[in-house]
Amino acid sequence: MKQEISVLMDGELFEDEAEALLNKLKKDPQTQQEWLTYHLIGDALRQPEHVGRDISATFHARLQDEPTVFVPRRQTTQRVRHFALSAAASVMALALVAWLSMQAGVEPGPQLAAAPQANALRPASLSSTSGVSDYVMAHQEFSPSTDVHGAASYIHSVSGR
Amino acid sequence: MPQSLRLLSCLLSLFCWQSAAAESLYRDESDWLKTMAFAAHQTDYSGTFVYQDGVGGHVEVSRITHVSDANGEHERLEGLNGARREIISSNNQVWLFLGDRKVKIERRHGERSFPALLPEQISSLKENYTIQQAEEDRVAGFHVHAVVFQPRDNLRYTHKMWAHSESGLLLKAVVLDERARIIEQYAFTHLTLGSNIDRTWIAKGIAAPTVPKRNEVTPTAKSGVQSLSADWKVDALPNGFKKIMEVTRPMRDRAQPVTHLVFSDGLAGISVFIEDVAGREGMNPGLSSQGALQVYGRISADKLITVVGEVPARTVIQVAESVRYAGQ
Repeated sequence: MKQEISVLMDGELFEDEAEALLNKLKKDPQTQQEWLTYHLIGDALRQPEHVGRDISATFHARLQDEPTVFVPRRQTTQRVRHFALSAAASVMALALVAWLSMQAGVEPGPQLAAAPQANALRPASLSSTSGVSDYVMAHQEFSPSTDVHGAASYIHSVSGR
Repeated sequence: MPQSLRLLSCLLSLFCWQSAAAESLYRDESDWLKTMAFAAHQTDYSGTFVYQDGVGGHVEVSRITHVSDANGEHERLEGLNGARREIISSNNQVWLFLGDRKVKIERRHGERSFPALLPEQISSLKENYTIQQAEEDRVAGFHVHAVVFQPRDNLRYTHKMWAHSESGLLLKAVVLDERARIIEQYAFTHLTLGSNIDRTWIAKGIAAPTVPKRNEVTPTAKSGVQSLSADWKVDALPNGFKKIMEVTRPMRDRAQPVTHLVFSDGLAGISVFIEDVAGREGMNPGLSSQGALQVYGRISADKLITVVGEVPARTVIQVAESVRYAGQ
């Protein structure tokens, strides 16, 4: 038995063996005493100036004197988990909506498949983009659209946005 | 808006058998486009029109004047709301007025062949669009004929145009996407036709002092537009777009000239600009748009490639992504 306890303390017992021995420890005061003795020996070997007393009795007595305080358990971990779960659900919902709207909004032509994701973003308005109107003016010089629309096509360059 | 949308989609679906019964003034529907282009250049008119960017819902009211005389063509477009924004063009010269500033945009390059819509463009138009004459109506008090240009693929927009029945002048235009949503539209609310139009602005606008701009380019005929060997290729051009021009041109604030390719399907244009990215770092690549006009820029190696066109975003992106250097 002493050999087994020693091996258990070294963490070298198999799980089922350790379980059987711990069950025995709980039931048999003799074995419990041996367990304590072995720990005392271990402590003595590591820290010789603090050993020599069986602290279990005093510890038990002091534990009895401790007042029992009833307080609600702190919910932090649960709340975090709750929040994380709902956030995950929201993200999933958003992704679903985005996916659905992409399915419905833009028809998935073969050309679109080749186009990058910039297509899905809302484009900037021209006049807020500096330098772009030069291209627009140059384009309109030659675009067939200008021939039909005449000076009205300048609206893209003059628009006050 | 939803009502007009419903009405429009309703009308669009009705065109098929309506047009069959409609009495056409023109033997060929594409003649409308030639007539409108001719009228846009030859008619003297002045009026107010309302422009709406269908995507942003932004509305703009502008006054437009066009005069064609012995000295050529003169156009003026002024925004009536907000700070002064005005464009005056006189033949090959274009000035932009912003507040107190007057900026000479640039000289128009080359001699525009007039009528500008060439016969081959008209024929390609019919390959790319179904052209149908629609209802007759009234716009700004004038009798108009409506024509619908329905594309055969989703890489271009649907155009519906209302032309003045007598002169052919375009009085109302709507651009729709493939789901019949309005991308942009404009319509005259007031229009005066004929020679009795104020012309004092022509001389005044030109005489106003120009604010010198950094590195302003006033190209001469020699340094202006030069033809160029076909060094740049666009692989994923939508069907029916043909190259109508390829030049190198100076542009404002650039040390190096810019390569400019223009493609046309008869109705919409796509421009491809290729330039050195050095010195253009301020440019933000990506998509920007106003109404039917989309601009998409991307950087490829040391080049900045910018595509502009009256086509959907997917088309300018597709074109820009497929530009490659095929020269030495």
